[in-house]
Amino acid sequence: MAKYEVTKLLDVRGEVCPVPDVETKRALKDMKSGEILCVWIDYPMSKERIPETVKSLGHEVLEIEEVGPSEWKIYIKVK
Amino acid sequence: MVWTGLLVGILFGIILQRGRICFNSAYRDVLLFKDNYLLKLYTFAVGLEAVLFVVFAKLGVITLNPMPFNAIGNIIGAYIFGLGMVLAGGCASGVTYRIGEGMTTSWLAGLSFGLTAAAVQGGVLSFLQRGISKFNVMVNHASEVYKQGSGATLADVFRIDPLLMAIIFAAALWIYTFATKTTKRETKMDWRLAGILLAALGVFAWWTSSHAGRIYGLGITGGWVNIMNVLTTKAKVNWIGAEVLGIIIGAAISAVAGKEFKLRMPKNPITYVQVLVGGAMMGLGASLAGGCNIGHSLTGVSLMAISSIVSTIFFILGNWTMAWILFGRK
Repeated sequence: MAKYEVTKLLDVRGEVCPVPDVETKRALKDMKSGEILCVWIDYPMSKERIPETVKSLGHEVLEIEEVGPSEWKIYIKVK
Repeated sequence: MVWTGLLVGILFGIILQRGRICFNSAYRDVLLFKDNYLLKLYTFAVGLEAVLFVVFAKLGVITLNPMPFNAIGNIIGAYIFGLGMVLAGGCASGVTYRIGEGMTTSWLAGLSFGLTAAAVQGGVLSFLQRGISKFNVMVNHASEVYKQGSGATLADVFRIDPLLMAIIFAAALWIYTFATKTTKRETKMDWRLAGILLAALGVFAWWTSSHAGRIYGLGITGGWVNIMNVLTTKAKVNWIGAEVLGIIIGAAISAVAGKEFKLRMPKNPITYVQVLVGGAMMGLGASLAGGCNIGHSLTGVSLMAISSIVSTIFFILGNWTMAWILFGRK
């Protein structure tokens, strides 16, 4: 998994809506420019909504990687 | 004709699961994430369904039965429901379809919702509903599309023909839907398609439910109450109970087919307590309000019922209050 230099891993699998989205937003606020956040989710709606929210905040979505059955890792580069 | 409820429920469950249709998200995303994707799906569907309802009623296929206005229930009950849906991690329909996706928090929230609703609608807390129902306001309508002695609609308030009212209502909703910018989202089902399917299913549901003796359309709360009664008494499954079962089955089929079924459990067990409390607040609130986000916000607002419009405003205010308390503060 050394694809990216992940600064912080946020494991929000199993959390109720909208905890993954909110935790992602909060984590991004505390990070420095150029750092990479990896959000680990297992809910398909989060996979669809988080990238759009992140982009609207100006950050870059590097990749949405499928890592298991209904599990994804979203790599986000902080602006 | 109870089986038609099951059929409608399965179709509803598939649409909810594929469209990710959760009203808790629809209301809240606008506030927290400045995301209007689901809200637009909703305004589009309701405008379409409002016109379809009146057209089919004018053709004599269905009779419209808007819920009576109840100032206390539609304000206080709806506000409690709005607060509860944020804690439960989903509205009544959101929690129900997520049960089929394997979301274990929704299993608890759904049971708590159904149990509390059953307690208020005929159980130990039924004095609450009896007390509140005294404030029901029923009217006689000028138009024959409505059942006499049901709740007032916008057409009654403005004293115009229901079809003209529905067209004005739909136009207002669609101006918002199509003239403002829509948030992008990569989904399995386009929001416009989901909206059309929801509206069409809403009319079909009304027609089949009426044939089973229940003159109303899609709903959730009454179905949960029926399921609780069937489990604990000699009551039989009715149309709306079958519909709720169908939603769970449909969502499960859709989730498995889409490789999205998974037993999801939160790491912090306190979440289970949170969803239990949220589910109970939803059961109490929906029972006092006379319906949930489907019975009121989808079906009732499509009827242009004053009761449902007021309830929906207070669902949203309750949702925003709790979303701000839990997630909004910096």
